Amino acid sequence: MSEAKHKFAFYLGCIAPNRYPGCESASIKAMKKLGVELVPLKGASCCPAPGAFGSIDLNVFYAMAARNLVLAEQMKMDIALLCNGCYKSIWEVNHKLKHNQDLRDGVNEVLKEIDMEYKGTINVYHTAELLYNEKFIGVEKVRSSVTNPLTGARIAVHYGCHLTKPHKDREFENDVMLNTEHPSWMEELVAALGATPVEYRNKMQCCGAGGGVRGYDIVHALDIANEKLINLKNVGVDALTDICPFCQLQFDRGQIEIKEKFGVSYDLPVLHYAELLGLAQGMSPQDLGLDLHAISCEPFLQKVL
Amino acid sequence: MVRTKGYPEALEKKLRDQRYFNEDTNPEFTKNVKGISRTIAHMCYQCGTCTGSCPSAPRSTYRIRKFMRRAVLGLENESLTDPDLWLCTTCYSCTDRCPRDIAPTDVIMAMRNLAFKRDIIPVNFLKTVQAIYSSGHGVPNNDVNRAARERLGLTRDPPTTHMYPEYIKGIQKILDHYKLKANADRIVKEREG
Amino acid sequence: MAEKKKSTTKKTESKKETKHEAPAKQEAAQKAAPSGVSTTKTQEKARIGVFICHCGTNIAGSMDINAVQDYAKTIPNVAYVDNYKYMCSMPGQAVINKAIKDNKLTGVVVAACSPRLHEPTFRTATKEGGLNQFRFEMANIREQNSWVHMHDQEGSTEKAKDAIRIAVAKAGLLQDLFPKAVPVEHAAMVVGAGVAGMQAALDLANAGIKTYLIESQPTIGGRMSQLDKTFPTLDCSQCILTPKMVDVGRAANIELMTYSEVDAVEGYIGNFDVTVRKKARGVLTPAEAEARGIVGGGCNGCGDCEPVCPVVKPNEFEVGMKPRKAIYISHPQVVPLIYTIDWNSCIKCGLCVTACGPEKKAIDLEAKDELVKVKVGTAILATGYDMFPVEKKTEWGYKKYENVISSLEFERLICASGPTSGHLVRPSDGETPKRVAFVLCAGSRDNTGNGKPYCSRFCCMYSLKHAHQIYEKIPGVQAYLFYMDIRSFGKMYEEFYYRIQDEGAKFIRGRVANILEDPVTKNLHVHTDDTLLNRPVDMEVDLVVLAAAVQPKEDTNRTRKLFGVSCSMDGWLLEAHPKLNPCGTTTAGVFLAGVCQGPKDIPDTVASAEGAASAASIPIHKGEVELEPYFATCIEERCAGCGMCINLCPYSALALVEKDGRQVMQVTEAKCKGCGTCGGFCPGGAIWMNHFATPQIVAQIDAFLLGGEQ
Repeated sequence: MSEAKHKFAFYLGCIAPNRYPGCESASIKAMKKLGVELVPLKGASCCPAPGAFGSIDLNVFYAMAARNLVLAEQMKMDIALLCNGCYKSIWEVNHKLKHNQDLRDGVNEVLKEIDMEYKGTINVYHTAELLYNEKFIGVEKVRSSVTNPLTGARIAVHYGCHLTKPHKDREFENDVMLNTEHPSWMEELVAALGATPVEYRNKMQCCGAGGGVRGYDIVHALDIANEKLINLKNVGVDALTDICPFCQLQFDRGQIEIKEKFGVSYDLPVLHYAELLGLAQGMSPQDLGLDLHAISCEPFLQKVL
Repeated sequence: MVRTKGYPEALEKKLRDQRYFNEDTNPEFTKNVKGISRTIAHMCYQCGTCTGSCPSAPRSTYRIRKFMRRAVLGLENESLTDPDLWLCTTCYSCTDRCPRDIAPTDVIMAMRNLAFKRDIIPVNFLKTVQAIYSSGHGVPNNDVNRAARERLGLTRDPPTTHMYPEYIKGIQKILDHYKLKANADRIVKEREG
Repeated sequence: MAEKKKSTTKKTESKKETKHEAPAKQEAAQKAAPSGVSTTKTQEKARIGVFICHCGTNIAGSMDINAVQDYAKTIPNVAYVDNYKYMCSMPGQAVINKAIKDNKLTGVVVAACSPRLHEPTFRTATKEGGLNQFRFEMANIREQNSWVHMHDQEGSTEKAKDAIRIAVAKAGLLQDLFPKAVPVEHAAMVVGAGVAGMQAALDLANAGIKTYLIESQPTIGGRMSQLDKTFPTLDCSQCILTPKMVDVGRAANIELMTYSEVDAVEGYIGNFDVTVRKKARGVLTPAEAEARGIVGGGCNGCGDCEPVCPVVKPNEFEVGMKPRKAIYISHPQVVPLIYTIDWNSCIKCGLCVTACGPEKKAIDLEAKDELVKVKVGTAILATGYDMFPVEKKTEWGYKKYENVISSLEFERLICASGPTSGHLVRPSDGETPKRVAFVLCAGSRDNTGNGKPYCSRFCCMYSLKHAHQIYEKIPGVQAYLFYMDIRSFGKMYEEFYYRIQDEGAKFIRGRVANILEDPVTKNLHVHTDDTLLNRPVDMEVDLVVLAAAVQPKEDTNRTRKLFGVSCSMDGWLLEAHPKLNPCGTTTAGVFLAGVCQGPKDIPDTVASAEGAASAASIPIHKGEVELEPYFATCIEERCAGCGMCINLCPYSALALVEKDGRQVMQVTEAKCKGCGTCGGFCPGGAIWMNHFATPQIVAQIDAFLLGGEQ
C-alpha cells in the first residue's frame, strides 16, 4: 500500500520467533498493510524473561533489558513488540531507567563493559497498542483492511497480565487501556475482524505461566490455565485469542499437558491476535504457520474460511 | 514418643515453642526487602486485598499477605525457606489493587533475589540462565521451526542472537559481571551432580 | 485577619535618614511618623528588655541559651536581659512585669515560640507592666529555629542571636497603638440547612440573634432527610428531624432562604456584606405572591401542577431511583412546602400554569435569579458532603453490575417513604435478596490516588445498622460484612456492634479485592481473603452494598473561597486548630459546623453545630469587636493627592478627601487589613503602615545584614 508512515524496530522475544513464527510473519505483513513498517532488530536477546531473571537478580534483569533497548537506540527507532512478558521487561525497564538516575547509573556501569550506553531516547509499544491507537492505526483502519471477515466465529480474549498491570505503572495514550478490571478494547479489535467477541467468567485472570511457575510447578500453573479453560468451555467459544506468545504457549501446549495430567480435553484453538489479523487479511493458514500449533486450529478454520 | 517419625529430631520440631519472639525479627531483612523492591513494604495493613486477588492462593498454601506480614516483621528465615515463595506468577493483580499503594509482587521478587543469595532457588531458573548464557535465548530454535520460518518468508533463524551469535559475548559479559553463570553452574552441579 | 510579619522591602526616602545609630533612627521614625501617632517614648532613648524562653527543652535543648543571653546584652538599646524556663507561665509573665517597672523599659522582646501562639499572652503582660501592648515584639526561636535545627547547636544559637537582634531593632521603633473597636451587626448567617446548619441556626435564633439560613436545595433537611434509621438508637431519621425542620420554618428570628446560594462576601468580622443569590424557583411563595398583588395566592403545596407536567426526570433525593417531574418537590415533608421548577428540563409548555389556576397564580415561568444583600456579624459554614463516585474503583463494578448499589441507595430502598416503600429488592429482577454483602471502606483509607486516604468515620456504624435492618425486614436473610476494622467508637456503638453480631450478621475480616457478576443470575461473586481464617474467599451473594467514602460537596470549594476559608489536604474545610478550635477558622468571624469540616456522625455533627453557634454568638453579644491596629495611615504633609493608591487597595479602604483646600488620601480603618500594598507603592513615602512601618522594617533589615557580633 502507501509508504509506511511509522517505522519500528521489531523486538521478537523468544517464543514467537522460535515456536510460533506465524505471529512474527503475520505482524510484519499485516502492519505493513496498515502503514506500519516493522524493521528487524539485530542482535536482540531474551528480553530477559521477567519471571526468571527478575526472581534471581534484578540488576541482571535491568542490564539485559537495557542492552536490548540500546540496540534500538543505536538504530534511532522506537521498539514494537508482540509479547506481554517482553513488554514488562522492555517497556517497564525503559520507563524506570528514564525516571531513576540511580538505576540508570547502575545499568550504564555494566553496559560500559560492552561499549554500550543507555540514553533513554526511544519509546516502546506493544503491537496491540499500535493497532488500537488511532495515532498509529486505530480500530477503523483495522476494520477496513479486512478482506476475509471472520464472520460467525465466537472468539474470547485473554488479555494477559503484563501489558496493563499494574495500571499505576503504565502510560497509554488511550486511557481505556488503563482499565484492568473490565477492559473491552481487545474485544473491539476482535469485532473489527468480523468475529463475535465473547465475554467469559474472570477473563482478566492470569494464565499461570509467569514468575517461573510454569517451570517450577507445572501442575500448579496448569491448574490456573485450566480454570480459564473451564470458564471458556462454559460459554462456548470457537477460539481464544491472546497478545502474548507465552500465554499462547501456556494455553496451546498447556492443553496437551492438561490432557496428560488432568485427563480433560478442550480442543480449543489458541491464536495470537496477529495470526487472527493475518487470517482476516487473507493470509493462508500455511502462511501463518498454524500447523505448528499444538492444538489443531482446523475446527476454527473451517468456520471462518 | 518413639512413635514420632524421625524421632528425636521430629519430636523436637513438633514440640518446639512456635511463638513469635523479638529475636525472630531481623530489621535488616525489612530494609533489604524495601531496598530491592523499591516499594513501601512496611506500610501493609493486612487488608487481604492482595490474597483476595491472587490466582495461586485458592489452589495452594501460598498467601501473599502472609509474606507481606513477614516482610514487615523481619522474619527472614521463614520467608526465604518457604517453598510457596516460588508460586507467585507475577500477575500483578495484587499490586494493581493494593489500597496502600504497595507492590507486593515486587516484595516477592526481592525476597527471591535474597533467597538466591543463599543458594535457595528452584533449578528451572538456573537452567534458563544457562540457556541464555549459551544462546542469548531462553528457547532454542529447531529444524522444524527453521523450515516453517523459511516457508513463511522469514529468515531461518530470527535476526536475534540466533542469527548473530557475535552478540552473545555481550550478554555473557553482563551475566559474568554479576557472577550469575558461575553461581548457576555451581548450584546445578551440587543438585544434579 | 492579622497580617503576618512580612518585610516590604520598598526603598523610600526615609531610608536615607536611617543610620546605624539608634537615636538617629528614632528621630527619623518621629519625623516619618504621621502626626497624631504617639511616639512619646522616642523622646527618651529606647530601653528594650529581652526575655529568652527555654520552653522546657524545646528551645534550650537545641541551642546555648547562655550564649544567646550574653549576646543580647551587647545589642544596642538593650537595657535588660533575662531568661526563664517557661515565659508564658504566670511567673514568667511576672518577670516581664517586674522588669518593665524596675528598668523603665520602653519596649519588650520575647524570644520564644511563634507569635501565632503567644503574642496575645505577652502583649497582655506588656500592658500590665505599664506599656502600650504594641510595644512588644516576638522573636520566633522555636518553630522557626530550634524545632527545625534540632541537631545543629551552633547554627541554631547563631540564628537565635540574629533573630533577637532583628527584633530589638524593630522594638526600638515601635509606637503606641490602640486597637479599633468596631460594632458588630446583630445578625448571623448559616450556609447550609442540613442538621448542622439547622441546629446552629436554631441556637442562634434562640439566643436572640437574627439568622439568615441559606440552603442551596429547594428544601432544608440535608442528608439526614435521606436516611431511614439512625444508629445506634434506630430512630426514624425524618421523624426526629421534622420537629427541627418545622421549628426552623416557624422561628421568628430565622430568615430561611432556600434554593439560594452565597454569591459574594465583602467586609470583615462584625460587618460582613453578603450577597445571596435567590435562584429562580419559578414558583411564588405566598409572601412573594402578595407582594405582586395576588391576594391569597402563591404556592400552597397542593401539587396540582405535578400530574400535568410532561417531563420526567430522576429524583436526586431518591438517588435517581424514583422519578420526579420538571416541577417538583423532593419528598412530601419538604420545608418550605413550595414547588420548584428544574429549568434544565422544563420545556415551558405552561400546562402547570393552567393547573395552578387563576386564584393562586403561583407559577412564573419567566422568573429570574434575584440578588439580595444582607449584613451579618458572623457566619457559619455547614455545607455537608457528597458520596465519593465509587464507580471509579472499577474492581467493585458499581454502575456496571446492576446488583451492586451504594449505601445511600440502600438507605432509600430500605426507607418506607422511598422508591420501593421500604422493600429491599434487587435492581436486576425486583426479587428480595437472601444474601447481602456489605463492602466496608469502599474508597476510604485508600492511598492509590484513586480514592480517599482518610477514614469516612460513620460507614462502619451504618453498615451495622443496614445489617440490622435487613434482619428485621427479611426473614432468612444472611448479611456478610467485609471489613478491615469495625470502628464503633461512640456512645453505645460497641454495644450496637455486639447486638448486630448477635442478630446473626457474619463478619469477614478482608477488604474486597474484586466483584464479578454471573451474567445469567446477576448474582455477585465477592472475592477477598478471610485474613483471620487465612483462606481466600469467593462468596456468591444476591446484592452488594458498597459503604462508599464521603467527600466535601462540590460547591463548597467556591463558597469557602468567598468567606476566605482554607481547606486541608484532604479537601475538608480547615479548622483553626484541630484539637482546640475545631469549630473556628483562621478567618475571624467565620465558623464551621458539621461534616464540611470532616466526616462526623449525627451526635458529633449536632455538637459541632452547637459549638459553632456559641462561638458565632460571642462577638454579636459583645456588640463590638477589636481590630488589630495594623492600618495604613496617610502622612498628610507628604501626600500629593495623586490618588494612585486608591485603586490599588484590594479592600477599597482608601479614598481622596478635601482637607485644608487640598486633596489628601484617607483610610477607612475598619476596611484596611494592613496588607501594605499602598504603603509599598506610594512614590512620595506618604503612607505609614502601623506596626510595619518602613523605618521599622528597614531597621530590621539593617540589623540583620549590618549588625553582628558587637
